[in-house]
Parts: sequence; C-alpha cells; structure tokens
Amino acid sequence: MEHAESFDYAIRKDVRNNPIVREVDERRQRELWISLAIGAVLVVVVMFDAWQHFELIRQGYAIEAMQKERAAEEDVRRHLRLEAETLRAPQRIERLAATRLGMVAPKAADTIVLERVLPAEPPARSVVASR
Amino acid sequence: MADERPNAWRQTIRQRTLLAAALLVLWGVGIEARLVYLQVLRHPELVAMADRQQRRTIESPAKRGEIRDRNNRLLAYSVDVDSIYAVPSEIADPKRAARDLCQALDGCTAADRDELEKRLDRKAAFAYVQRFVSAAASERVRALDQQGIGFMKENRRFYPNRELAGHLLGYVGTDNVGLGGLEAAYNRVVLGAPGKLLVQTDARNRAFSRVERTPTTGATLELTIDQQLQHIVERELAAGVTAHKAAGGTAVMMDPATGEILAMASYPTFNPNAFRDASPDERKNRAVTDLYEPGSTFKLVTASAALEEGVISPTDLVETAPGYIRFGARQIDDTHNYGTLTFADAIVKSSNVGAIRVGKKLGAERLGVYVNRFGFGHTVSHDFPGESPGIVWDASKLDDSALASVSMGYQVGVTPLQMVTATAAVANGGRLLKPRIVRAVVRDGVRTPTDAVDVRRVVSARTAAELTTIMEDVIVRGTGTQAALEGYTVAGKTGTAQKLVAGAYSHSEYNVSFTGFVPSRKPVFALVVVVDTPRNGFYFGGSVSGPIFQKIADASLRHLGIPPTVFPAPPVLVDRRAQMMQTPGEPVIVTVDDAGGRAMPDLMGLSAREALRRTARLGVSVKMQGNGLVVGQYPEPGATVALGGSCTIMLDRSVGRGARSSTGTAP
Repeated sequence: MEHAESFDYAIRKDVRNNPIVREVDERRQRELWISLAIGAVLVVVVMFDAWQHFELIRQGYAIEAMQKERAAEEDVRRHLRLEAETLRAPQRIERLAATRLGMVAPKAADTIVLERVLPAEPPARSVVASR
Repeated sequence: MADERPNAWRQTIRQRTLLAAALLVLWGVGIEARLVYLQVLRHPELVAMADRQQRRTIESPAKRGEIRDRNNRLLAYSVDVDSIYAVPSEIADPKRAARDLCQALDGCTAADRDELEKRLDRKAAFAYVQRFVSAAASERVRALDQQGIGFMKENRRFYPNRELAGHLLGYVGTDNVGLGGLEAAYNRVVLGAPGKLLVQTDARNRAFSRVERTPTTGATLELTIDQQLQHIVERELAAGVTAHKAAGGTAVMMDPATGEILAMASYPTFNPNAFRDASPDERKNRAVTDLYEPGSTFKLVTASAALEEGVISPTDLVETAPGYIRFGARQIDDTHNYGTLTFADAIVKSSNVGAIRVGKKLGAERLGVYVNRFGFGHTVSHDFPGESPGIVWDASKLDDSALASVSMGYQVGVTPLQMVTATAAVANGGRLLKPRIVRAVVRDGVRTPTDAVDVRRVVSARTAAELTTIMEDVIVRGTGTQAALEGYTVAGKTGTAQKLVAGAYSHSEYNVSFTGFVPSRKPVFALVVVVDTPRNGFYFGGSVSGPIFQKIADASLRHLGIPPTVFPAPPVLVDRRAQMMQTPGEPVIVTVDDAGGRAMPDLMGLSAREALRRTARLGVSVKMQGNGLVVGQYPEPGATVALGGSCTIMLDRSVGRGARSSTGTAP
C-alpha cells in the first residue's frame, strides 16, 4: 500500500491547476508603487540638484567671461574718451590750424559778434551761428 | 542528516554575510573616521588651504572723479593702465630677465636696467618692474612670456589738455593721492572708495564665481573755468612773458557778478602728466602763492577809500608839484612834474605824489579799514592750497613815510587773486565776492552747485561808478592806453613796482601789472595780469602787462560773443532753441533789430556770412534756408525793405557745380 502510494506519486499526473491564480496583494503592490515613485522623485531631485549645481558652475564661467569682456570694453571706452579729449585740446587744434592749414586768429574787423539772446518769439525753424 | 544540509549552507551564507557586513561596517567606519578627521579635526586648516587655492581677493582701485570745465570739457580723467611686477624668487636668471624687460619697456636706460637687475636679484616676494606702462610696452613684455613676471591694473590720472590749467588742477602721485592744486584741495571729494572682488577659481585657476563690492567713483568737480578762455589767457600770457624776457607771469580772470574764476594762469608752466619733470618753481601756482607789491594798481584802494569817506571828490584839485615828495631823507618821485591835477587825473596819470597826499589826508586808520574790506591780508578762498594771505601793516604803527608807501602800493604784499577780487568788487558796484573755482560737485548723478558768496559791501555803488569812470580814463588818456580795445569801453589801472632785492628796491627789476574789467559799464570779466621782471627794456605796467591784457580781452570777448559797446552794430539776435536740431555751422535764421528802410542789396553768390553781414547792416530779419552760397533771395535786389521787416535767402552748396539759380519766391 505504501509502495502503491509512492508509485502513484511517481507517476506523472496531470494536475489541472491552471485556474489557480495567486491573489494580488494590493497593499504590497501599492507599497511597491509608492516606493518606486518615491525613488523616482528622489532620483529626479538628485539629478535636478546635480544639474543645477553644474549649470551654476557653467553659468559662473559664462558670467565671469562676460564680466571680463565688459571690464575690457569699459577700459577701452575710457581710453578712447581720453584720446578724444586729448585730440580736442584747444592748443593742439590751434597749432594744427596754424601750422598745417596756415590759419590765423581773426581780428576784430574780421568778425561779427552774434549776441546769443533768445528772441521773444523765435521763428519755427531758426538759428544757427556756431563759433 | 538530510535535514542538516540546508542549515549548513545557510550557516555558510550567514557567516559570509556577517563577514561582508563587518567589512562594510569597517569600511564605513574608516570613511567616517577619515571624514571626521578631515572635516572636524582639520577643518579650519583645510578650509584655509582651500580658500587660498580657490579664492582670490582682488582690490579694485578707486577711480578718482573727473574734473571738468564749466562747459563739461574734460580736464582730468582716470583710466586703468598696466603695471608690471615681478616675483624675483621665480626668476632664474635676473640679469637676462632685466635685459629682456628693459628692451621691451619704454625709455629704459642702462641705469634703469641695472637698477631693475638689482631688484630682481633680491629674491623678494614682490618687486615692481615698472608702474603705469604704455599699452604697447605692456604687450611687448607680455610677448616675452617671462616666468615670474605679472601684470596688474592700476589707476592713473591723465590731463588730456597737458599744460592747460596745470597749476590750477595740480597733480596726483602714484598712489592716487592728490599732491597739488585742486587734486590736493579736493582729494577727499574726488578720491572715491576702493572695491573688493572675491573670485572663486577651479583647479585650472579659472574663475567661475565672484562676489563684488564695486569701487565707488569719486565725485566729479565742475569748475568755473572755461577751457577756451583758459587757453587764451595761457597763450597770451606765455607770449607776453616770452616777448619781454620776463622771469614769469600770472593772469587771473574773474566774473565780477558771481566771483567765478574763469581762467587762472601762471608762467612758466608744466605738464601735470609728467609733474616730476618740472621744478618746484614751475609747479607753483603763482596766482595764489606769490606775493608782490602791487604798486600803482593799489591806488584803486586808496582812491576808493578817499571817495567813499568823502575825503575828496574826483574833481577836487591835488597839488603834485614839484614832481616829488620828501619824508626825511627819502624822496618819492613822479615820472613827470604834473603840477596841479584833479584827483581823477592824479589816478589817471598814476601820480605817486597825488596818491600820497590823498592817502595822508585819509589817514592810516581809515586806509587800513578799506585795505581789509577789499580782502587784503586774508586768504580769500579755501580752494587753493598754499594760498598766501598777503602782508598788510598794522595801521597804528604806520608813520608818514610808510603811509605814503602804502598809498601808492608799496610795503604791502598781495596775491594776483586778491587783486582781481578787489578789482571785481569795483566792477560789480562795490560788493566783494568770494572767488570760486568749483562751480558744482556731481556725486552719483546729483549735481550740487556752489553758491556765490557775497562777503561784504566794500564801497557804495556811487563810489564804484566814480572809480570806474576814472579807470576808463586811465585807458583813454592815462597810463593804460595800450590796453584799449576797439569797440569796447575798458576800465583799468596800471602798476609798476620796484622789486625788493637784498633788502633794497632794485632799479632794474620790477613787478609790472595791469588790472581792469571789460566792458566797463557791463563787465563780463575782471582780469589782472602780473609780469615778473621784464628784461627787454620795457618795465611799465602799461607797456608790458597792458598789451597782454588787451590781447586776452580781445580774444575772450570774441569767444564769449560780447558785442561791441562803442558804436555798436545793430544787435544780431540768434535763437538758441533750434540749435540742437541743426547740424553744426548751418546758419538758418537771424533777426535783426533796428529802425528805418533801405533797398535790398543783391546777395546772389555771396557766402552766408557775407550775406548776413550785409543784411545785418540793413536792420531786417533774415531767414536762411539751406547752406552754402546764396542762390536766391526775397525781396528781390533793389526792392525796398522796411526796417524791422524780414527777408529770406536761399543757400545751396551746388551753386559752384551747376547753373546759378534764379531769384527765390516769397516764402
């Protein structure tokens, strides 16, 4: 009897267990999804933080480069202003006018003094007598 | 037995797991221990080390504020320039480095090269190679790519007009501190505050982050001087001093209505960009530091006091015969024996005897009051470092001889600035105004003007007017005829004073001066010209300083657009409103004020200037259209134009290239 049972056991029997389905553990699955979501959020946060950090450094380089460029341009502007004022110096202009152009200072008889006074009602389009 | 097998492998797994866990714990503990060691125990030291490696603090030098003239033209300006330094300990061959650097630098002599080699050989941590180098020299040194050589930006002061107003502006040392003139007097105002720049760098020493405290630029000084007037004054003063082979000269121009100094010049001059090349004598502002005995120009004070106190009137007679006056052994002469003169004529002819007699009548006490009232014996402004208060006497200790000296401008020391201030007081009707050189201070875009300071009334308007008439006569028929200006009334007074040399008055060295104002009835400026020791044979104020005054006044009036006051032409009124819309030099319209009527002239083909000249004489309003030569006009030539009416002229530049246009149509 004992042999028969073991024999029966030994014979491959077609056990029809297809309808048997392991029941889904809703609680654990929910926990799984929550864990995954939290993990994903953490990963995103970490990635964002890392991106932000490296972007900050990259922008720092860019800002630094632009600051240098701006400082250099400002420096050039100041030098050019100085050069322009040097070129406009009255003694230089007078020297060039006298030596290169052969000009002489006008005498009183050569000039008309235009009195710069605002008339009561100036014409619509008016002026100019530049010295 | 069969039941124990699974337990065995489980045991093995457990042991291995425990071992791994222990290793992990040990690893963790090791790491944590290391972290504690680095971040707790060595924290301060490592942070300091990291800071040294990653952070650099760079000082941003303060930029001095600008100095501008009254028309906003730059007179002093700061820019960053390269300075070259060395770390001598990093330079292997100082001799070779010094040679290479010297070749690259501007103006490096053999002595400079030896000095540089010594500096590089000291193995110090820092040494300047050269400060404030030119851009070209900096590039050449950069190209050497020399180990141990670095560059830094430093702020340097520049004066774009070179010598112009150099004495007034002063100069700035290498450490950005004003050492003379306005740069020193207003150092705190224009200095500004330095900034700091904290830079974080990476392993490759590239900056990626900065915290900046920007430097504060100093305030901008807007001066009362006019760059063009300053140029005119300096030019004519230099020409006059050179022509008369004089030791030096000074001229100060002041607006008598406001006390604003329009120009202040001294000769010899210097370039403040290279102030170290100039001698102390060249650098000093003679207008405020040098005292001189004013001579006859001081008779204005004597005359003012006498007129104001009612001691004498301009028409009262003064006996000047026999042309000299004695005080014991001392004899004071006139150039001629003028005999009996009116008081006005005594001043006009600059009679010493006349002035002495009036001074004696006035008395030392009363004369002393007026000397003080006119501002002599005190500094007149805080704007000028080193200003001398002058020398005046104690009236109570004055004997007759000393009173005589003071009455004619001796035994009293004044500065040209004091003299022009006193002259301006006469010019403006008797008010003594504090001379001002700073018109406004501009800080952070806010302009704070300085106000005119009316110190006191010195004499009444009536006395000032009487004195003005006398001073006009000095120019018309007195000692100042060479200061006369065609078309303008001038008021002035000459002065010739022997210089005190080795305790005695010299007969070969003189201080000659001229002080006056123009136009005399509506003064635009008061001007004093002092020439020190002319040596070409002329030594009178009227013949040396007078012509300089005349040339300065002539050019200055033209520059300022002051129309003639003697037989003036009809005033040409020019509207300013549309100037901004115009291209420079494009004349469009003028209106002319006069009365009467005449025939319209033919203006065709004339230049705008010539057409303007002719129409101005007619006394009609002129409207100009376009620019170039006249190609059309309305009314037509020959037509009668009513005085006070208007005409239109059309201008065109293409007239020379094309056919002459026909007469214009009515506008």
